[in-house]
Formats: sequence, C-alpha cells, structure tokens
Amino acid sequence: MKADSKNVKTGVYCVDGDVASGYGALAAGCRFIAGYPITPSTEAAEAFAQIAPSAGALFIQMEDELASIAAVVGASWAGVKTMTITSGPGYSLMMETIGFGAMVEAPFVLLNIQRAGPSTGVPTKTGQADMMQCRWGSAGDYEIIAISPDSPQEMFDYTIKAFNLSEIYRCPVMIMSDECVGHMTEKVVVPAANEIDLEPRRFYQGPADGYIPFKPDKDLVPKMAKAGDGMRLYVTSQLHDENGYPVNGSNYKRAFTRRLVDKIRLNKHRIIELREEETDDAEVVVISYGITSRVSARGIEKAREKGIKVGSLRLVTVFPFPDERIAALAEKVKAFVVPEINYGQIAYDVERCSAGKANVVVIPHGGSGVHQPKDILDAIEYAAGEDEKIKGIIEQKTLLERKVFQEGYVVRE
Amino acid sequence: MNPLISAFEMGIQRSEIPPSKVCVVSDIPFEPDVAKGLGVDFFHTIRGRTVAFGTGMKLANPSLKVVPFVGDLMTLGGNHIVHAGRRNMELTVLCVNNFVYRKIALNYAPDVSSAFSPYSLFEEPFNVPHLANSCGALYTARWTALHVEEIADSVAEALNKKGFSVIEVLLPGPNFYTDITDIEAELLQFYYRNSEVKDGEKPKNVGILPDRKIVVGKFTDKERPTFIDVYNTQLPKQLGDKFTPYGA
Repeated sequence: MKADSKNVKTGVYCVDGDVASGYGALAAGCRFIAGYPITPSTEAAEAFAQIAPSAGALFIQMEDELASIAAVVGASWAGVKTMTITSGPGYSLMMETIGFGAMVEAPFVLLNIQRAGPSTGVPTKTGQADMMQCRWGSAGDYEIIAISPDSPQEMFDYTIKAFNLSEIYRCPVMIMSDECVGHMTEKVVVPAANEIDLEPRRFYQGPADGYIPFKPDKDLVPKMAKAGDGMRLYVTSQLHDENGYPVNGSNYKRAFTRRLVDKIRLNKHRIIELREEETDDAEVVVISYGITSRVSARGIEKAREKGIKVGSLRLVTVFPFPDERIAALAEKVKAFVVPEINYGQIAYDVERCSAGKANVVVIPHGGSGVHQPKDILDAIEYAAGEDEKIKGIIEQKTLLERKVFQEGYVVRE
Repeated sequence: MNPLISAFEMGIQRSEIPPSKVCVVSDIPFEPDVAKGLGVDFFHTIRGRTVAFGTGMKLANPSLKVVPFVGDLMTLGGNHIVHAGRRNMELTVLCVNNFVYRKIALNYAPDVSSAFSPYSLFEEPFNVPHLANSCGALYTARWTALHVEEIADSVAEALNKKGFSVIEVLLPGPNFYTDITDIEAELLQFYYRNSEVKDGEKPKNVGILPDRKIVVGKFTDKERPTFIDVYNTQLPKQLGDKFTPYGA
C-alpha cells in the first residue's frame, strides 16, 4: 500500500531530526499522537501538531507521560496508527504501559530522543544510556524492536519503517534516537506519496463469531480487530489464552510468552538492518549506532590512513540484536571497538556474541557531548595492537575521562 | 448476578446505544462471561490508566462510547480524571467505590470512610462527585449498588451526555462484577438503608461522613462543548479551509 498524498509533505527541506520524524509519522499514516513536552524531543511533537489538523490527524498534549502512552495503546486498539514522543525521564514513566502494550500486542511507535541522564540529567545534551531500558525496562518477558537513525533523513525514513514494523509484528517499536540527531539540521527529502510503501493494519476479515483474537498466524502474529466492530473483544493485560480470556496455568504461560518473544526472535532475519563497510578483511570492526556512527567515521578514516584494516558495522536496528552476524565476525576479526554514549550497554551484547573469540573494547562516554575522533582512533590503534585475548570488556577511556580519574572525580576548571 | 452489572446492562438498553459501540475499559478483569454477556468490547488495562486509555480510544474513534469502569480512579488515576474533566472528554466513568482495594482487603483507598472499616482509618475520604464536578465533569451522580433502577437511568443519561460524566457507585466487597457474598449483601443493605436521595444537591455537600446519612442522587447535569467540539471550532479560525474537521 502507498502513502496517502494528504499526509505527505513532498519536497526538499532543511529541518532537524525531530521535525523530520514528525513529518515521517504523518506520512506513515499516523492518525494520533499523545505526548507530553520534554526536551529534546519537543520539536517532533510540535511538527506533527502543526501539520496534523490539515490531514485529519490529531495531536493531544496529555497530562503526563503515563497518560500519553496509555492513550496511545487505547488509540491503537481503537484501530489507528499511533505514536508517542519522549525523552529520558518521560521514557522511564512509560515503562509499565510499554509492557502492557506488548502484552496486548498493540502496534505503536515510540520516539525516544535520548538525553544525558540519569534522572533529569542534562536535558539539552545528548546521551545513549536508555538502550538497555528499551530492551528490558518493563516487567516480564517481551520483545520490542529498536531502531537507531543517525541523520534527519533517516529520522524521516525510519519513522515510516517503525510504523511498518509495528503493524507487521504487533509490538512496540522504539526509535532510539538521541539529542544530536534530533537537533541536527540537514537536508531532508520527502518523496512523493506514491514512492512511500506502507504496511496497512492486518485486520481479521471474516464473521465476528469466527474471530479468535490471539490465535497466531503463520508468522506467529495474530490478526487484529478494532473496538466498535461488534467483535465482543476481550483484551486483558493478564496472561490470556487464544480467546483473550485470563488464564493462570503454567502451560498457558509457556505457550503465550514463548510466542510473544518468538514472533520477533524467529523473524529477526526479516527485521534486522545493518550497514557494513570494509568488514571483509578487517582486523578491527567498529560497532556503532545512532550518533556514534557519525562521529566514528573520522576516527576510522584516520586509522585507515595509518594502514590499520578497520571495518565498520552500524546497527540500524539495535534490537533484535544481530547475534549471528557479530558471532560470525568474531571468528575472523581481532577486536571490536564499541563507542557509545553511556558506560557500556551494547558493548555487553557484543561481548556475549563474541564469546571470547575477539576482544571487545568499549569507549564509554558520560554524555552531554560526543566522542572525539582521537578517542575512536586511540581505541582502534590499541585494539589492532593488542595480540592477547583478554576476557571481558576492555575499557578504553576517552581523553577527558582519563582526566577525570587523574583529578579525582572533581572538575578543576 | 451482581446488581451493578444488571443495572449497567439495563442502562445500556435504556440509552438505545448498540452494545457493540460501547467499550468498557477497566482496571480489573471481568469474568469473560460477564463481558460477553453485556455484548460490549472489554479492555482490562492496568491500574489507574483507564481514563487515559479511554481518552485515546475516544479520540481515535469518536463514534465509540467509552466507559471507564473502575476502582483505582482516585489514586493512581487521580491526575487523569482531573484532566479528562478539564478537557470535557466524552467518557462515562463508573467509579466503583468499594472502600478497599480489590483483592487486598483492609488496604484502604483514599476515598475510604472510617464508618465502613474494621479499624478506625484516620484519613479524610474524597468526595468523588464534588471532585469530579470541580474538575469540570458535566454529569455527576452517586448511588449504592442496590439503587438498580436509578443507576440504569444514570448510565443511560450519561452515555448520551456529550461530555465527561462520573457516576459513583457504592459497592462493598473486593469484586465488582461477580456474585456478592452474604456479608457483602448485608453491608450493601446497610448502605442502602443509610442513604437518602437528594437529587440536585450541591456536590460539595455530599461528602460521606460517619455521622451522616449517605447522600445519593443525580447531583449535576450541565452543558459544555467537548474536547472535540472545541477543537473543531477553534482550529478553523486559524487554519481556515486547510482544516479537516476531526472525527466527522
């Protein structure tokens, strides 16, 4: 199915990543966004709020993030494509309801423009420290899809992709962007509506009395219905059987939760998107996502100038995690270098997949800024020169982090 | 059958709204048979978020009649009711006040009254109709669960009300959809006997206090444009022809 021209602002723009994501949501057919303002995500909501009324869509500023995400799950079951927009503290508030959304298999998109934490942290500066929260943050077993765009153009493109994935797999899809990408202004090309492919909601077609709301299809994803269609829907946050009725037995638990995670895990080869450069003969591979993929580029370039064979693997989808690809690379490379704007999150997944075959060097960064090319270069040089296999994660501190240690965790201006 | 469920079913019939257009949004799971019997779509959400969830449903499909049928309204859901009232979101709230949290007997809710508790509870209870009215609810009423006819009429009126409606129902016991026990029935009789009907009473005067009869009745029934009405009249003033009326 192609996008509806009334939703697509075709043209060439110079806008920031937030705004591009707002445009992307409308182009994807999003009818309803509920959100609560929080820096640095606000511009995405503003952009949608500005263009939505002309396209028959609606933005509402709710009373808080708890209400925003609850309204989004409600709107999803009422039959529309829907999204919410937030950052750090708001994201934490949404956690309980994200699990609810996963449990009742409501398709929706969540845009998180990550900022530096913890807590209020530095609202206007960047961070990537919500990555594990997006994967594990709500109670219980469930799976989500997380995408990490690295440019305003990608914010547009991958917001559309996020909606498509959420409709196919009926799960929350997180766009795990960050303040740098959200506030980065670049050229954004919005194509014609007939060039945008959309996934419509996969509604059950058939008589109401034949509808079994949680009966899996071949791809393990049940067909959806919407409220008000006379289906006598019974939807519960409690463990439920195929009919949606609450059950307690451990057999039901196994069958249901297994499907909830397997509908993503067994389809992950269809979901995962990676960008690889020069990994064929690389001795070191830099694994990055979001803004760190942009800042790594210069460090990689410099290392190549010095004759080091460096490849790059960019996680466009971070979750589901590309276990197999990283394990395969670990067989032939000396080391992975993982720059991330946190104190080690994705690096642990890389270490798990590497399973001792290749060294894993993390370059942690506390946020409020990004790595310097020199930090990336230093870590690549170290990784290329280290011939010993070292267990666990090797921390390669940035220049500024080293200074923190030298000065005893106190800033001396 | 629980008298409240019977009353609710009668209310839907009297409202002449097809049950298929009614969405019950609850914070506890009804028995599937009860929900199916009502002929409605039933959503058991999570503690406290019923009104917010219902707001999303109503806005996504304004033709739905959304009924938050809830117990945790004034605690976890407190802020949501305040803002749903302010916006005049078209929801029909059935606030089941059982004075205890479901399944956790003796853990008291903030709208608890000391007269109905085994130990003296010292916190002031909420006056639910007064709170709802202050927040902007158009329609407020309170009944005990034995006022079956009155609840049915209130439900029918509220479902057809263009705006935020709150009906408080006093119902003892931890379950508000299953059969009630003998002890609960006795307590229910006690509420019923100790209530007096005062339709049109000012909501500020209907607080539940130990030394007074429980005031029940239909307290307020006002008119005010809903969120969607205001949206559809305000935005064209700035957007002109570019505006697409919402939910039309």
